[in-house]
Amino acid sequence: MEEEMANRRVSSRTRKVASKMAAALTSTDNRTQAAIARLEALENDNGAVEVVDLNDDEEASLDEDDDLGYVQKKQHKGSKRKTRQAKALEARKAPKSFTELLQEANSESLPSHVPTYLKAAVGPPSSSSRRHFCTVCGSTTISISDIALPSIPQSYFIKPAGLHLPPTRLKTKFLSIHPVSFFLPWNFLRLRFLASPVDLALTQEDKENSLLLHMAENGEEKLLAVARHIAKTLGHNESMADDILQIFSTFDGRFSREKLSEDQQPSDDGSGGVAALERALNSLDSQISRFVASDQPIWSDPADSAAFLDAIDELVNLTREWSHASSEKPIGACLSRADDMMQQAMFRIEEEFRSLMDHGAESFPVSHRFDESEEEDDEVDDGEEDCDDSQIPVAQPLTDYDLIIDALSSATINDLHEITKRMLAAGFGKSCSHVYSGSRREFLEESMSRLGLQKLSIEDVHKMQWQELEDEIDRWIKAANVALRILFPSERRLCDRVFFGFSSAADLSFMEVCRGSTIQLLNFADAVAIGSRSPERLFKVLDVFETMRDLMVEFESVFSDQFCVVLRNEAVTIWKRLGEAVRGIFMELENLIRRDPAKAAVPGGGLHPITRYVMNYLRAACRSRQTLEQVFEESNGVPSKDSTLLTVQMSWIMELLESNLEVKSKVYKDPALSYVFLMNNGRYIVQKVRDGELGVLLGEDWIRKHNAKVKQYQMSYQRSSWNKMIGLLKVDNAAVGMNGLGKAMKEKLKEFNMQFDEVCKAHSTWVVFDEQMREELRTSLARLLLPAYGNFIARFQNLGDIGKNADRYIKYGVEDIEARVNDLFKGTSTARK
Amino acid sequence: MPATDFQGTFGRSFLSFRRDQVDSNTPAAGSSSHSMEAELDSFQRQVAEKFTDLNASGELLSLEWIGKLLDSFLCCQEEFRAIVFNHRSQISTSPMNRLISEYFERSIKALDVCNAIRDGIEQIRQWQKLSDIVISALDSRRTVGEGQLRRAKKALVDLAIGMLDEKETSLAHRNRSFGRVKDSHSHHRSMGHFRSLSWSVSRSWSASKQLQALASNLNTPRQNDVVASNGLAVPVYTMASVLLFVMWVLVAAFPCQDRGLQVNFFVPRQFQWAAPVMSLHDKIVEESKRRDRKNCCGLLKEIGRIEKSSRVMNELIDSIHFPMSEEKEIEVKQRVEELVEVHEALKNGLDPFERKVREVFHRIVRSRTENLDSLC
Repeated sequence: MEEEMANRRVSSRTRKVASKMAAALTSTDNRTQAAIARLEALENDNGAVEVVDLNDDEEASLDEDDDLGYVQKKQHKGSKRKTRQAKALEARKAPKSFTELLQEANSESLPSHVPTYLKAAVGPPSSSSRRHFCTVCGSTTISISDIALPSIPQSYFIKPAGLHLPPTRLKTKFLSIHPVSFFLPWNFLRLRFLASPVDLALTQEDKENSLLLHMAENGEEKLLAVARHIAKTLGHNESMADDILQIFSTFDGRFSREKLSEDQQPSDDGSGGVAALERALNSLDSQISRFVASDQPIWSDPADSAAFLDAIDELVNLTREWSHASSEKPIGACLSRADDMMQQAMFRIEEEFRSLMDHGAESFPVSHRFDESEEEDDEVDDGEEDCDDSQIPVAQPLTDYDLIIDALSSATINDLHEITKRMLAAGFGKSCSHVYSGSRREFLEESMSRLGLQKLSIEDVHKMQWQELEDEIDRWIKAANVALRILFPSERRLCDRVFFGFSSAADLSFMEVCRGSTIQLLNFADAVAIGSRSPERLFKVLDVFETMRDLMVEFESVFSDQFCVVLRNEAVTIWKRLGEAVRGIFMELENLIRRDPAKAAVPGGGLHPITRYVMNYLRAACRSRQTLEQVFEESNGVPSKDSTLLTVQMSWIMELLESNLEVKSKVYKDPALSYVFLMNNGRYIVQKVRDGELGVLLGEDWIRKHNAKVKQYQMSYQRSSWNKMIGLLKVDNAAVGMNGLGKAMKEKLKEFNMQFDEVCKAHSTWVVFDEQMREELRTSLARLLLPAYGNFIARFQNLGDIGKNADRYIKYGVEDIEARVNDLFKGTSTARK
Repeated sequence: MPATDFQGTFGRSFLSFRRDQVDSNTPAAGSSSHSMEAELDSFQRQVAEKFTDLNASGELLSLEWIGKLLDSFLCCQEEFRAIVFNHRSQISTSPMNRLISEYFERSIKALDVCNAIRDGIEQIRQWQKLSDIVISALDSRRTVGEGQLRRAKKALVDLAIGMLDEKETSLAHRNRSFGRVKDSHSHHRSMGHFRSLSWSVSRSWSASKQLQALASNLNTPRQNDVVASNGLAVPVYTMASVLLFVMWVLVAAFPCQDRGLQVNFFVPRQFQWAAPVMSLHDKIVEESKRRDRKNCCGLLKEIGRIEKSSRVMNELIDSIHFPMSEEKEIEVKQRVEELVEVHEALKNGLDPFERKVREVFHRIVRSRTENLDSLC
């Protein structure tokens, strides 16, 4: 029965592959043809040797006589089988050409990821150590890559890692034994797997001293069968065969005499199918339980793991093929036994999966740090760090996020994938995903803590000193970028590779892996968004906002599946909340401005601290103009074309500031000083607006208007303190008589002197902070004052009697006046500050 | 129902009692104060009704019941928001500005509880996965073999370890360093490979302390504050109490870091809602003192059921010898069905519940933000 199934498989494979092969063989590629010719020549050499079909899974067929008997016995079962068996016999008799072998190998029916003779190409070097030992006998073999391979097309190479592949994939149909080599001393004897015809080619060169065994499985049973076969074939008589067996038995424990002399399976009569099933189960049971009981990790030896996987596959196939008959009691019992075996195998394979996950991750620590100056917490042992250096798989530069961490080697990933396939097929998907995500989650969490990210509650964040929080935010920004641009995509890739072909399991596992770390990241951003609205936080909150904004694409792409949609939505919510927080901070700023009390006046009408604070704050904020525009557009819901909303916001703050300053200006008792105060602050505001983004936002118009406003304050100042004085200098020609005029001028001059003294004394302590404005103001005053005064003095001096004594009344010359005016607004030492 | 008993005896609410005083002190208070009085009274009544309902409906501490509790909280919160909005002019004057900002600062503390509960829900999901493995191993459609039993057993052991109170497992905190992964391996083995989720907050965070912080300085409003705020101090106190109670129930029901219910929670009887709330409180305290729930990781009914069901299953599996007798086989099937029932209930309930917890979180944040905005 079993054999029949094997045959059926072969025939269907042959059919499928035929067309492909024909195409390959008619290839005009000379190299290919040369290689084929060479291989065929080798093949013919082999033809001299007896070729035995070691078909798929049947141990019995190794012994030719027995096999024949078996076939004959079965012939009564149906003509269909008879022809197939007969064909098989024919095939066995004639040596096969290489192309026939290739056809039989039927590589096309294999999954696409399995390299075959036709498809295999040299892949990246395997990270696992090269296999130097024959899996069967343990003696050293020449690894394929050790030998130069002339004239064999590149594409025909099977990479050394191919040896990891389950041997089922490498099965060939014949066993080739060289009689001469058999009598050579044992240390020349080599039992060797043929991974590919490449090996065949090589071994041909040293076939004098090697024994070729082309075996299907490394199962012990088969090994024994082969040994028995060798003995029988070579031993021309009983005693000779016995001797050979004796030699074998000294070679390896597996070749004990008991095992070798073991009779072939008892031939079954009647109960047929069940017996075959039972036999197959027994065989699998002994294989599986050997693995299950092994205290070595099975995956430490690629051949072991391949054999284990094969056994599982056999078990699955067996169960599937018999499941239709499960109602029959004996078969049902067998199937339940098979199920039991499967559970045990799964148990073990889960362990293997876990240990591959853990050990794979161990040898590839992500221990790079992004900022060398950043002091890592005490967790990192420096000694360890040093010796791990050589294994750091990640490039250093922070700016380049375009890298993927391969936390596990390709070989390990392949192994994991093979296991995953079996576990999912056997209904152990949940366990598999559970183990997977548990291990990867740990890895991620550790990576996050390496990035310096702490786990903080919202309250922790709130209680934190601002400076400390600033540092934490910096670390968060780095961590968030690394997580979303490197770690998560790497995890996604790994997950997709391990769960290749099982997208739902992959998605679920990925979500499980990333969920915790994502929530940790988002929680912190949320805590920052919910935190205090004090204006000094604006810049850092903007940083967090921008980070989230820039990472939105990553959130969308990495969390695109159904399971992660929650995380993606959370990210959006928190991003919006950060926008809200920024708007909140501006509200708080408005509050601060509006409520800033007009307590003590700034001496000399100088710059008020709030003006400087607000203006510098806004200028700094406007460096993130685009972000702010985005933030304020969000609040409206309707995206506006221009930056109108931010403009409105900024003009509003300016208005608040100006009205606050106006209130503050009332603190001065002298209205002239109020004007100086407004002039100073107004001038400062315009200056700060003009040369920056703020000016672009508020517009030329705004600047013009405010310049005019400053001019007006200036005019008001002049009017309030100097106009009266100028008035004094006006000569009233209509005055009565010369005497009267002189008297009046004398009085006026006296009055002028007094007022000028007073004003100059006071105003020289006042401040005009801007030099240019100070000069302008002085010039303007001088222009106003000097001609009037000069006129006045001239008139006065020409005024007869009084004019002669004019010098007695004239306290200041025109130059003196000018000098005094130039002395104005210098401020006292305190006011100037 | 003990809760309804109180309804009749407390016809006159604390608020209207105060209101009388306010009115007599300030005879100038016009009709607007009357409508305000009605508004505030209605809030008290609504809160009382919600909690009276909660006393009567559904199974206490079941997922569904706690969901209702959260709904009630959201309703109260909405009402409260309306009141705050309607009287925003008063909110900015003393003593209301102090009281209201105290309330919102308090509400921030509830956010961490919400996040911790989210972790707790995730924890339950992990247990769900294990019970799922048990269920699929002992699938009733097949005959149960030794292998399946062993698989179920292993999942049950993992589940039992996972459900141990956090205090015990916290001893086994993993080392956070790559270099030392090896050291922790022996530990993994001894823990039956169960990898508990870690919490999203630091190890020092404590649900119990957080509740205490939520409860600190939560006193009945002083008489002069009530008078000065035209009675608005009362809904603020009410809302703070409801918030504390809801958070306390969540911590009681779900696994979280350093669970502890030792919070001084007491509402004087003169509040309409005091009786139903205190009645729930007492019932839950009683529940937490029951012997079988004393050391559990959450009072949530479903957790208890999973725990019980898996324990019974565990014992059953231990008692099975092969070949299995027919009675045993039937028993296994029954137990699996029980487990399936709990499992399904949780599976369907957890997601909406998690969303609800999230909604509570967002509402608390929003209402605080609105308040901050309105103060501007």
